[in-house]
Amino acid sequence: MALASAWAVALHGVDGVLVEIEAHIGPGLPGLQMVGLPDAALSEARDRVRAAVLNSGRRWPPRRMTLALSPATLPKVGSGYDLALACALLAADGRIPADRLRGLVLIGELALDGRLRPVRGVLPAVLAARRVGIDEVVVPTASLAEAALVNGVRVYGATRLTDVLRWLQDPAAGLARPDPLNPAPPPAVPDLADVLGQGDARWAVEVAAAGGHHLLLTGPPGTGKTMLAQRMVGLLPMLTDTEALEVTAVHSVAGLLTPDTPLITVPPFVAPHHTSSVASLVGGGSGLAKPGAVSRAHRGVLFLDEVAEFGPRSLEALRTPLEDGEVRLARRDGVVRYPARFQLVLAANPCPCAPPDERDCICAPSARRRYLGRLSGPLLDRVDVRVAMRPLKDMGQTDAEPESTAVVRERVLLARTAARARWAGTGWSTNAEVPGPVLRRRFGLPRVVTEPIEAALHRGLVTARGADRTLRLAWTLADLAGRDRPLVEDVSAAMGLRDRSAA
Amino acid sequence: MTPGDRELRGARAYLSRVAEPPAPALSELIDEVGPVRASRLVAAGRVPGQVAAETGARRADDRVEADLAAMGAFGGRLVIPEDAEWPAEEFTCFGTLAAQADKRWRAPVALWVRGGGRLDELGARAVAVVGARAATGYGEHVAAEFGYGLAEGGLTVVSGAAFGVDGAAHRGALAAEGRTFAVQACGLDVPYPAGHQGLLERIAVAGVVVSEYPPGIRPARHRFLVRNRLIAAFAAGTVVIEAGIRSGARSTASAAFALGRVVMAVPGPVTSALSVGCHLLIREEQAVLVTRVAEVLEAVGRIGADLAPALISPRHPTDGLSPELLAVYEALPARASRHPEQLVRDSGVPLNRVRSALPLLELQGLVGCGTGGWHRVLGDGGRGGA
Repeated sequence: MALASAWAVALHGVDGVLVEIEAHIGPGLPGLQMVGLPDAALSEARDRVRAAVLNSGRRWPPRRMTLALSPATLPKVGSGYDLALACALLAADGRIPADRLRGLVLIGELALDGRLRPVRGVLPAVLAARRVGIDEVVVPTASLAEAALVNGVRVYGATRLTDVLRWLQDPAAGLARPDPLNPAPPPAVPDLADVLGQGDARWAVEVAAAGGHHLLLTGPPGTGKTMLAQRMVGLLPMLTDTEALEVTAVHSVAGLLTPDTPLITVPPFVAPHHTSSVASLVGGGSGLAKPGAVSRAHRGVLFLDEVAEFGPRSLEALRTPLEDGEVRLARRDGVVRYPARFQLVLAANPCPCAPPDERDCICAPSARRRYLGRLSGPLLDRVDVRVAMRPLKDMGQTDAEPESTAVVRERVLLARTAARARWAGTGWSTNAEVPGPVLRRRFGLPRVVTEPIEAALHRGLVTARGADRTLRLAWTLADLAGRDRPLVEDVSAAMGLRDRSAA
Repeated sequence: MTPGDRELRGARAYLSRVAEPPAPALSELIDEVGPVRASRLVAAGRVPGQVAAETGARRADDRVEADLAAMGAFGGRLVIPEDAEWPAEEFTCFGTLAAQADKRWRAPVALWVRGGGRLDELGARAVAVVGARAATGYGEHVAAEFGYGLAEGGLTVVSGAAFGVDGAAHRGALAAEGRTFAVQACGLDVPYPAGHQGLLERIAVAGVVVSEYPPGIRPARHRFLVRNRLIAAFAAGTVVIEAGIRSGARSTASAAFALGRVVMAVPGPVTSALSVGCHLLIREEQAVLVTRVAEVLEAVGRIGADLAPALISPRHPTDGLSPELLAVYEALPARASRHPEQLVRDSGVPLNRVRSALPLLELQGLVGCGTGGWHRVLGDGGRGGA
């Protein structure tokens, strides 16, 4: 038979599209031609496949061969098609049964000696396969655990091309099957008990974690802003199965998965440096855009340290993901969509010189104003919790032992459960997501309770937006206190978490 | 105007010029024989010795027609006791035994009046506000406040249209678009003081300008003292705002006291020479101490109906704080900053309550949040904004 086809998957962001690979062997000068918008890495596949087939002890057909990748208009990127290409060719040559390739997706890059190498994006590829009803997938053994996360699909792991070919000829030969999923212990997150003092800031982190609020920490260097931000992740609930798959898919596409943690179950913590480009933050690259920091922080924490040093363009670029929970990136080869629903934690010094004691500041007043002024506006508008950290004056400010992550986390989880129950059916799950008008009208509070906000509004201490933020925080504080609606003390305590430098 | 009425008015006009008030003997004669006959007797010189002494110098000076014409020319009129407009009720004070015992306290023979108001109406609820001409800024301020407040309360403000306190009181009443009237110590054709000509015009529009002196009479020191009894008589009470040890305002006060009116005095700094008179009045228990309009209203008003609202005792900024807020506030040292955790220890209030208390205290301007933590707001006693 001179015609055969196999299946592979093209990735489009975190979505996979099934690609049919047809191989035709016909008369003519010996050679191999590939059609269907391959990129450079895929074009080089012809040399990799030839070497791998020969080094696997198979015959390279001395005839004119054509490989077509369909849908022909979809640009195809990367080296993950190698295995499918090799199998399609050999099936067309009659060396392996062509009907075995039906209903089977083959993923993997070939080394010249015939080994199978892991590729990025195995998880979304397997998900795409399942979506169209494919029930068997072969992946490189190194990616087997990742592929095995998808239920309802039989995944096989192979280390060499020969293994795959032998298995295709004789199913009894067998391929590696995934081990039963034993969830690896979640990576150790630094404990909150390590942070000395800073009661207010610790509390702010707790509130932010409980309500899903974005957080701004300001304070001189060495007060533990970064320490606290890193410990925030430990307070967040574990990812649900769906969330874990979403997050793992993004990390798979970004090539960040390691074989020992195939499934990401804890909220990721991503801390890009302040010199990062816009593309690295929100995603980008030529051809089809790759996920950036905002997507890697999906369902986790995006920590921007020294946020005032970030370029204004970088900060502005965060606005759409904050609003929409996803990024859509248009590049030459099309528009891709990556999820980006993260919790933002910002840390900043109060001024460029940042002395340990603010009174020693040598910055010109204009420089001080400009410094944090870069943050003002729409980005800061979405940050509900703002807290100033103070220099530590002694080693033990309180007699009590600082609370550990486990203790605080328990309160946070209870509060989150309460919030989820309240917003059930509305599409929101945390207080931070609820728009101000809904809080004011549908969940309006009696005047006695909102009195501090009214007074502050009346005296111009907070803006209308600030009032909404305070209201949202009041609900979170009520959740933390185990009340079903905020009391006036929650509202006034929420006022303490607002920014005092800018209303 | 009937012939009888004209005769009566002419007689009163003649009598108001013929003797320098107060003329107790002449008043007695008028009461005895009636004004028409009294005027004839005086003109003819057939009067007892006392009356002759009071009227002898001017009895030939009959300018009735000219005076009435002059008054009419600038919109004035003569109001006589036989008129319905005569403030008879106010002037009953001159009839008391105490007043009759002193020859100074006699009702006027007639009143020369400019302005649209009716005397009896204006006098119905009037308060006199008097004081030093060379008043301090404090005196003028209080006078204007009282003038405004009383007029706003529906009372008529009576004063003498002099510089200083008098003028300020009139202006205050005019600013409130209320009623006010001035009692002059000279003929109404002579605006006095000249610098208050404009003010007198405005008073005439809003109320009346009154004098017992016929046109052409010049102001003189003794006439001011005589005039003061009319101010006191018109008003239900007299407020003295700033008076020196010797002053016209004190003479008004003693007239009011003698006529059984309420005398009130506004205290000032004990070091101020211009408040000595006021303090003396209070010390000698001739005057009630007043500090605000409500207290004046209470003193002159209807019994029980016009009580002044009780003054709230001087407020400390922390008054009205709940015990918990107060505990948190008191836990803050006067000049240092504290963290919420430290306040828990010192106030005995749990941490979450401290956290909600601090923003509330901040909202009231009592505490602030700085680089070292929370601190008390000092300086303006905590009344300022945050």
